[in-house]
Amino acid sequence: MTNPRAAITSKQILLLPWLVLIVALTLTWLVWDHERQSARKELHSQFDFALRDTVSRLEQRVAAYEQMLRGMQSLLATTPLTNRTAIHDYVETLQLDANFSGIRVIGIVEKVSAQARAAHVAAMRRQGLADYTIYPDSQDETLAPIIQREPDVGQDQAVLGFDPWTEPVRRLAMEKARDSGLPSISGKVRLVVDHETEASPGFIMYLPIFAHGQPRDSVAQRRVNIIGWVYAAFHMRDFMASLYGKQSPGLALSIFDDVVPTAEALMYRSPDEAAAAEPAMENTMSANEYMVVAGHTWTVSLSTQQAFETLYGRDAASVIAVTGICLSLSLALLVWQMVTGRVRALRLAAEMTEELRHMAQHDPLTKLPNRALFSDRLNQELTRAQRHGGKFALIFLDLDHFKPINDNFGHAVGDGLLQQMAQRLQASIRASDTVGRIGGDEFVVLVAELTEANAALALAEKIRMAARQPFIVDGNELHVSCSLGVAVYPDNGSDEITLTKSADEAMYRAKDAGRNSVVSASNTTR
Amino acid sequence: MIIRISIFLLIMLGNINLANAVTPDCSRPYTLALHDHGLLYSAETDAGIDKDVADELIRRSGCKVIVSLMPRARIWQLIESGALDFSLSGIRNAERDKFAAFAWYFSNKYYLLVRKDSGIRNLADFTRNDRLQLGVIRGFRYSENANQMVDRLQAENRLSMAGGLAPLYQTLMLNRIQGMIIEPFDYPTLEEKRIRDLTAIIEFNDPAVPHGLIMSKKSLALSEQEKWRVLVNGMRTDGTMRRIFEKYFTPDLAAAMVDF
Repeated sequence: MTNPRAAITSKQILLLPWLVLIVALTLTWLVWDHERQSARKELHSQFDFALRDTVSRLEQRVAAYEQMLRGMQSLLATTPLTNRTAIHDYVETLQLDANFSGIRVIGIVEKVSAQARAAHVAAMRRQGLADYTIYPDSQDETLAPIIQREPDVGQDQAVLGFDPWTEPVRRLAMEKARDSGLPSISGKVRLVVDHETEASPGFIMYLPIFAHGQPRDSVAQRRVNIIGWVYAAFHMRDFMASLYGKQSPGLALSIFDDVVPTAEALMYRSPDEAAAAEPAMENTMSANEYMVVAGHTWTVSLSTQQAFETLYGRDAASVIAVTGICLSLSLALLVWQMVTGRVRALRLAAEMTEELRHMAQHDPLTKLPNRALFSDRLNQELTRAQRHGGKFALIFLDLDHFKPINDNFGHAVGDGLLQQMAQRLQASIRASDTVGRIGGDEFVVLVAELTEANAALALAEKIRMAARQPFIVDGNELHVSCSLGVAVYPDNGSDEITLTKSADEAMYRAKDAGRNSVVSASNTTR
Repeated sequence: MIIRISIFLLIMLGNINLANAVTPDCSRPYTLALHDHGLLYSAETDAGIDKDVADELIRRSGCKVIVSLMPRARIWQLIESGALDFSLSGIRNAERDKFAAFAWYFSNKYYLLVRKDSGIRNLADFTRNDRLQLGVIRGFRYSENANQMVDRLQAENRLSMAGGLAPLYQTLMLNRIQGMIIEPFDYPTLEEKRIRDLTAIIEFNDPAVPHGLIMSKKSLALSEQEKWRVLVNGMRTDGTMRRIFEKYFTPDLAAAMVDF
């Protein structure tokens, strides 16, 4: 692990799980975002379809009613406007059943000039309508009273004679129908037949009737030759009820007259929406479509409710997010385990190797370098001293009277003493010096880079004094001494063998001289 | 002499054959639908370019053609289904080519009409500002860049759909939409001045788009389509088409639209 290249590689390898996590999370995010967008797109297109469908159903229904009125127009191309019986029979034959339930009434409006007013009223009264009169009073040159309405149910007789030309909303539609020759529907009105104050909003569809055989190709010709209108009056609520097809669930529909969706312009509101006390949704979609029906604009306002999203929405995005994050984390963890498993094994092997090496080179009891390591250090020092012409010393040390301690106090106490001795030796020397244990109670000190031989003797003396201090082992106060022999390179030997021999001999001479003393190899007399 | 007479007769016969070749088959009545759209056709006045073109085309064909008024989206539906034979002023795209054939008679560019007070100077200004709504007529397609803009805004829910031009102008005046896509004939006769005062025009950088007679492929055989195309081309070459457009536009603009 000291190889720098290997160190960088292992660092890079440790980044791998993070890289995997980032890539996996990014992928999750991409998939999640794509799903979210496509879900929103789908919901959006469902909504758009619903709006288009709603408008289309309204258009078709209006077209069906238009068609029915065109039938009336055709009838009046063959018979006078005042042929009450024919019109009554025709409407009866139409069998306006539930399919046409939107129609409140079908009627005929006759265009009467102001001058002909009296004659018109008189003629109507002759037909048995004793109370007939044109109302409200109008100063307009043109009068347009309702002269017939079907189905005729008696109590609505009062409606006859009403002049819709006096009412701006109706008049606008009548003018449009006259000028274009096409069906035209009015804005929001309250039908005349509705007596209740809270009447349902209604609208009226007008179709112009032109004089037989007269040209009607231009606006001017149509204005001259119009003789009346056929109309159908609708309740918006009933009109909506008669639509074909089914409104998509979960959608609130409102229809407003013209282009501004205000409360006054409201024509219809779906019952769903009235009951919608739901909290506002996050993703509510709403849109207005300005549809043109028979020359008139309605604003169709559609917005989604909770049910719509429940029905068409997808919830895969959150599933993807959760699953993706879990998988990303698991994957990163797995990669981390694989990568660091190798690194951790290598580290363990290195530690064990180091420990083995330590064990091979040190004395297990005192942890001091053993003979082999000491020999290494000695040779290094020897090489160094030979190269630079320096000095160093070797001190051999043997504890005096150690065997009786083992015998009297046991090996444990003896071992404790050796350990303490080793510590005292370590404390006595310099960091550059080496202490080794080479056997039972024998130690050896390598005094490196010596300037003068006396320094080695002084150190030996210091060690001897340190050994004299009592040892406390397991509560026993023990007294020992030691004999030391000092050999100096190059004075007392030029290699490991001769130096060792010199130091050893000096040490034995110290023992012979009565122990507890230091003997230099140079001093052969002492 | 005999040779000359023979040649004369041959030429006469050839002409007759040619005349027969271009007369459409009138054995059944046809249907043609107009849509209410500015100067093309106004239901309020029952007049317009399309109406004039239709009248002339019907006159030249000698066929009975029932003309009606419908929303544009419905017209395309019925052309596709074959229930409707003709409509006018249509433009092609890949989808429409599957069910409709065309006989071109004029060409024009599309423009973005915006409110002056919206501060829009170019197309990107409009697309960028997500508060701006574009009004479009359902069923309409435009030139390429205009289509791209419409499709993008559609995805952003920024379109207001309408069944015709009239509500679009109304909502533009009320500032409920801030822009709409128009063609030269889209100005309503009514309130034209007020609209011009309030709005500015931005060009789409597209070439002019040809418009033509729409023919339903489902209801008209290829040979019949060709006969109607010959009729339309006849109206162009003899100046009839130009005269119709000059009723509604300045001579310069009419020429620019008809000669392409």
